[in-house]
Amino acid sequence: MVKREEIVHAANLIKIDLEDHEKYIEQVEKILNYFDILDKASAESESFVTQEMSLDKLRDDKYVPFDEKLITQLKNYKGTFVKAPKMV
Amino acid sequence: MTKIGLEIHCQLTKLESKLFCSCKADYRSFDINTNICPVCIGLPGSLPLLNKKAVEKAAMIAMALGCKTPQKIAFFRKNYFYPDLPKNFQITQYNAFGPTSIGYDGNVLIEDKEIRIRRIQLEEDPGRLVYEGTSEKTQLTLIDYNRAGAPLVEIVTEPDFETPKQVRLFLNVLADLVENLGVSDPSLEGALRVDGNISIHKGNRVEIKNVGSFRDIEKALHFEITRQQSLAERGIPIPAETRHWDEARKITVSARSKEEEQDYRYFLEADIPWVLIESSVIDKLKKNMPESISSKKERYIKKYGIPLQVAEVLSSDKFYSDLFEQAHNEKNAKEIANIITTDLKGFADTKEQREQLKLTPKHLSDLAEAVMNNIITRNSGKLALQEIVKTGKSLSEIISSLDLGHVDDESSLSKIIDDVFTEEEKAVSEAKSNPDTINYLVGKVMQKTKGKANPALTLDIIKKKLDSR
Amino acid sequence: MLKLQRWYKMNLGITATQYLEQVKNGSLTVEEFMAKTMERIKKVEDSIHAYISLNDDAISQAKQIDKKLKAKEKVGSCFGIPISIKDNICTKGMKTTCASKMLENFVAPYDATVVSNLKSQDAIITGKTNLDEFAMGISTEFSYFGPSRNPWNTDYIPGGSSGGSAVSVSALECIASLGSDTGGSVRNPASFCSVVGLKPTYGLVSRYGLISYANSIEQVGPIARTVEDTAFILNIVSGIDTHDNTTIDKGKTDYTKDLDAGIDGKRIGIISEMIGEGVDKQVASATSKAISKLQSLGAKCSEVSLDSIKYSVATYYTIAATEAGSNLARYDNIRYGFDFDVEGYEFNVYISKARKNFGPEVTRRMILGAFVPSAGYLGKYFLKALKVRSKIKSEIEQAFKKFDLLFAPTVPVLPFKIGEKIDDPLSLYLLDINTIVANLSGIPAISVPFEITQGLPIGMQLFADLMQEKTLLQAAHALEKTTNLPGVPI
Repeated sequence: MVKREEIVHAANLIKIDLEDHEKYIEQVEKILNYFDILDKASAESESFVTQEMSLDKLRDDKYVPFDEKLITQLKNYKGTFVKAPKMV
Repeated sequence: MTKIGLEIHCQLTKLESKLFCSCKADYRSFDINTNICPVCIGLPGSLPLLNKKAVEKAAMIAMALGCKTPQKIAFFRKNYFYPDLPKNFQITQYNAFGPTSIGYDGNVLIEDKEIRIRRIQLEEDPGRLVYEGTSEKTQLTLIDYNRAGAPLVEIVTEPDFETPKQVRLFLNVLADLVENLGVSDPSLEGALRVDGNISIHKGNRVEIKNVGSFRDIEKALHFEITRQQSLAERGIPIPAETRHWDEARKITVSARSKEEEQDYRYFLEADIPWVLIESSVIDKLKKNMPESISSKKERYIKKYGIPLQVAEVLSSDKFYSDLFEQAHNEKNAKEIANIITTDLKGFADTKEQREQLKLTPKHLSDLAEAVMNNIITRNSGKLALQEIVKTGKSLSEIISSLDLGHVDDESSLSKIIDDVFTEEEKAVSEAKSNPDTINYLVGKVMQKTKGKANPALTLDIIKKKLDSR
Repeated sequence: MLKLQRWYKMNLGITATQYLEQVKNGSLTVEEFMAKTMERIKKVEDSIHAYISLNDDAISQAKQIDKKLKAKEKVGSCFGIPISIKDNICTKGMKTTCASKMLENFVAPYDATVVSNLKSQDAIITGKTNLDEFAMGISTEFSYFGPSRNPWNTDYIPGGSSGGSAVSVSALECIASLGSDTGGSVRNPASFCSVVGLKPTYGLVSRYGLISYANSIEQVGPIARTVEDTAFILNIVSGIDTHDNTTIDKGKTDYTKDLDAGIDGKRIGIISEMIGEGVDKQVASATSKAISKLQSLGAKCSEVSLDSIKYSVATYYTIAATEAGSNLARYDNIRYGFDFDVEGYEFNVYISKARKNFGPEVTRRMILGAFVPSAGYLGKYFLKALKVRSKIKSEIEQAFKKFDLLFAPTVPVLPFKIGEKIDDPLSLYLLDINTIVANLSGIPAISVPFEITQGLPIGMQLFADLMQEKTLLQAAHALEKTTNLPGVPI
């Protein structure tokens, strides 16, 4: 049984504010209970390797400029910087 | 028993492009936010493209530090939120599912102490935060992403260091090593960054971050040892924590404890397939790797008879050893080594000096030959070197324009010596009883001839004259 | 009114093959067709809401192609075909919103590879289609811009998450569309809207420009009215892409060639876990009919059991949520997003406030995605799911040693009413049970419209082994030929 605080902790990790969203905790709890079905599956020594690629197929080390005006297409401050919220 | 471990971040500044995109790896000359693209600022839909050379260079560092390289490497996501992190996760390496980072289980010998290297991993640098304004209320946090995605190699050691001095020596070795391998220029600001962790008497481990330079890490570690010892003496337990080095006050300060402990939820980066590094690739890299510093040193000593001190200086400085390699042959190696390590002092110490240096390998070999064949004296050689460094003119031009040829013939030398005898009557009379004074007289002759007098011949003539008196 | 509608269906309901023929022989101009398409969109959009945004330049782009044709200049293989693009695929200069407030104002500075491939063949984008927010959903009800509606009965869901794409094709608002399929998001709405939808082998189609939700699982997939058209689009968008290291080389494969090969002698495995309990009786009966049809075409059908299917939904959602949590972490509204200035806010406060603008389904998956790989639960959920995924792959591999194709209905139920299941997220997840296995194992799968029952579409699904799209399309084409379905009522 998963504890409520643990779901709130997970939400904090992902920067989701659960302040007035009690129903999410309930729904997530229910879904997690369903996920417990995985306990019944037997699966030992399985490989985690998905795709493989040999070193020589990787990207060549070349400098190719994109567009020096790219910053103007994003949110920007004085056309140069990106503003961030204050770090405490 | 003090235990110190290090976490070093080395930028692969010698690469052309970033780790996962084709923006420039060395971002330092760009205007704010002009060295960016959809990949390195993590625009929706963008995908990382691993840089082949970055893997090769990182593998070389791993090999140079005695590490093993796995047959397959993988990348992971380290998930956390921070304004300098465009995707709010960092693509890095992590040892889950076996050893999957580019190097592991290596070691380095520092003053007979074995320092074990836990792992070497490739990862991307975040952007930089810049602050505008000073008033607490109005201060803005601004982000420059030029550095985001720059290629980093992280080197993690076991806590095998016992003294801050060992740490400093290790870092110097490392800086020389990466420069020698041609993977990084450690003189660039921010190219080599160090964090440390330290514990004393099996106590709690304290992390030290935010150390600016190599010299500072030694200071920071000394401070920490003192701080921890004073706590231990008073029976106060040392809390396990992260402390920041305060550059201005030269102390470590407890970093504000985070509200929650960070859980990075590492998992495989699916956009980057596992990269196969066949043993044939490793062999090829090994073969083409620049010779290691220690190997060079051995070779200089064994093959050319170069003295230990000289060999150490020559081998550990890439600029010097490159010059040496290009200029020397079997015969003049020792002489050239000498010229480089003693006479070049003051002319080629800084980066700017080296960039503007007009000295070429040919100059060096010409100079060495001239001195060895007695065409000019060693002292004249020093003068000639000064001119070469400034003007880049050929040695023969300089010899004639500065009139540096030897004073070799007995008669002219004899005359000069007679003049010196006249000027130095006191010394002459002492010289009979005190052999050191003879050297003084030789020195005076050298002065008079601006170093062109043949020293052996001078000595000979002086002795003869003294004897005949 | 009726006459006009009949005209629309006669003329707009043509296939890509027919369109190309008519444009090439001069009986149809590109501009004419595009103009009628745009008119149709204007007419029906209010009732079905397939599109989030339209390409205002479509008609002038069509004129350009006619000009080139007239001057006998070379024109790409699409000849101005109107194609709609799911709004989680980047189109340069046009907004790409993922049906989310978090990307309300986002304009990508580049085209997705699949889009540039189409453009370089002179296809014309009609607009960006509606989806469940960030492709998370099965009904297109979780769109920030409101739901899309099933053109067969506008009270019903069109399926999801590529609902808008399927609707636009089904309602004759374009000839084909590109959707994305992570857990069934192309096949499910294709089935519910009576069109063809293909999820290619993982890696066959580039994901560069597809806004990531679950990047080890998803693929861009074509949606069209016929299997032949689907193959035509697949040819254009598939193959190695230097922008995407997970793409696979298809060599010189032409998916439209030998489509008529038939399925005589092919061994087809009917997945027993997908035809028993939990299947609506209408779907079950349609499935039996389909199996008979396959047998009548010469295929050898027998049941096959895939034991891990019962864990597939939990496995999928565990892995997909984890990847989603990470892929959507970048949406902090700092570099792009919607209007909300950072000034005066502390970092954590700002981000949490901005991210309150995710919809309910995305919010749930974010939380799940942070939970299942977190310390203390990593082994039980996330790592276990990875292991089960690997097991599913092995089971599929084994199955394809005995069979050439696998078969099951695309969705176990008929389309349901809008709003009916929206407050029961788990019940929606379970509807993915027939489609998810293809995503987890990477194999290609296709939904073919089979029947209309009680006015609602039922689709049948075929699966083939990795990179066996030709076999898959041949079988789908053969099954398609046995059907004679009515035209869309709208």
